[in-house]
Amino acid sequence: MSDLAADRAAPVPSGDGTTGALPEDPAAIPRRVTMRRFGVGEGSTAAISVFTGMVLLGLWWCVARTGWVSHLFLPTPAEVLTQAYSIWQDGYANATLWEHVSASLTRILSAAAIAIALGIPLGLLMGQNRWAKGVLDTPIEFYWPLPPLAYLPLMIIWLGIGEASKITVLALAMFAPIVLSAQAGVRALPRERVHAALSLGATRWQLFAEVVLPSALPEILTGVRLALGVGWGTLVAAELIAANRGIGFLIMSASHFLATDAVFVGIGLIALCAFGFSGAMRLLEAWLVPWKGHS
Amino acid sequence: MLKVENASVFYAARDGQSVHALDRVSLEIPPQGLVVALGSSGCGKSTLLHAMAGFLPLSQGTITLDGAPVQAPGAERGVVFQKDSLLPWKSVLDNVALGLKFAGVPRQERALRAHALLRLVGLQDFAAAAPYELSGGMRQPHALARALATDPKILLMDEPFGALDSLTREHMQALLVTVWERTRKQIFFITHSIEEALFLGTQVLVMSPRPGRIVARFEVDFVHRFAAERDARAIKTLPAFTELREEIRALVHQAEDRELAQV
Repeated sequence: MSDLAADRAAPVPSGDGTTGALPEDPAAIPRRVTMRRFGVGEGSTAAISVFTGMVLLGLWWCVARTGWVSHLFLPTPAEVLTQAYSIWQDGYANATLWEHVSASLTRILSAAAIAIALGIPLGLLMGQNRWAKGVLDTPIEFYWPLPPLAYLPLMIIWLGIGEASKITVLALAMFAPIVLSAQAGVRALPRERVHAALSLGATRWQLFAEVVLPSALPEILTGVRLALGVGWGTLVAAELIAANRGIGFLIMSASHFLATDAVFVGIGLIALCAFGFSGAMRLLEAWLVPWKGHS
Repeated sequence: MLKVENASVFYAARDGQSVHALDRVSLEIPPQGLVVALGSSGCGKSTLLHAMAGFLPLSQGTITLDGAPVQAPGAERGVVFQKDSLLPWKSVLDNVALGLKFAGVPRQERALRAHALLRLVGLQDFAAAAPYELSGGMRQPHALARALATDPKILLMDEPFGALDSLTREHMQALLVTVWERTRKQIFFITHSIEEALFLGTQVLVMSPRPGRIVARFEVDFVHRFAAERDARAIKTLPAFTELREEIRALVHQAEDRELAQV
């Protein structure tokens, strides 16, 4: 090894104190390597994603432009943008764009608030108390696999066609994933963490506030994220059935008039909102549980 | 003084049978004593420690600390676990201060005392770091500092250095002796390393498995010599040390063979 280094370093004037001077020949610069790995790895996929998006958009434009598909079914991207602008300016179906969006957002956010306010404490309780788990398991296991639209008509009969029935259905749909994840978070708590806190003198309340709750937080946030996904699906479906405001209603009434471009605008709006929500959740996770995955 | 009298533990197994994990164990940890329980895995040494900590009730027998029966976990018995159980959402400093927070010590004093403990174990430069940013060799001193924070009467250490490489382990042993000397705590220490047991203990309890029982006790004194001279290698090569080490090794193997003969 040292012989080799001496040989290579021979042309370089010695005595300058630098050891193992690299030879000038660029071919001899050592190749940088990383461990072979399986799966996607850590390389960024952003460029690929943007490229794919542009290809899809281009494809859409081509298909719509050449007239392979009737205009009635597939408007061009430009037409959709024009329609979006006109909805933004003049509203649609007796309401402004903002009224539609805010009706939907109000519904999903109030339902989320109810589901979170009830789901987290009840889930935490179910994780710690045999009675709470025994009592609540039965109703939750019964209704949670039901599609929310199956009980929407029942809610309309009970609560009327107004906001109450829609918010109740949404809150029920979002409650289950939150309560189940909070419960799972408590049950996944390592026993040693509890023992350690107790032998440091924690009272029951201190154990809960300092150890149980923070330990369950990553799971709870995952549950909220899932709940929001379920919430958007249920919201739009509920608005298709019974509403006179909201993004789902906009899509439905546009489809009655075969206004395909307006349907596209509605779908785009939902995508934007859902994207915003998931971005907000990611920020919330980075802020609340930066230690997620470490132990 | 912590006193264990005739402690037996029968675990409830899944199939309704019971597993005899600890068989009539008696021991005393005198003030300033460093008692080491030595044995292979399955010899009941962790069970014994869990009972002392109050995590596990005894089937028979009693455990008392200064005359008061041990029934539940409490801050007067500090525990250092095999695998550290630090809270990842708290900084290194706040983890050390956790016990003081539970005790209602005001924030400023908490920080002051936690800093002093971090200095004691050599982690003063990592106060603001997250526990998961510490290397394996820094996590155990961190856990030790946390257990010391509430100023417990006794430290219970469950194979704390078992997962460390041998060089780091020697550093930890020296650190533990320093801490023991300065704080004058009673310590109950579990290990499966004969050398570690002899080097650290003022008393070594050799345990044999299934059911776990104490088969031999040795009063030793190498740790005081190390505390005075700080030369671990000189002590570990002393004829008295190596002879005792071989004697205990023979004893441990004998216990294992006896168990194999039973099966």
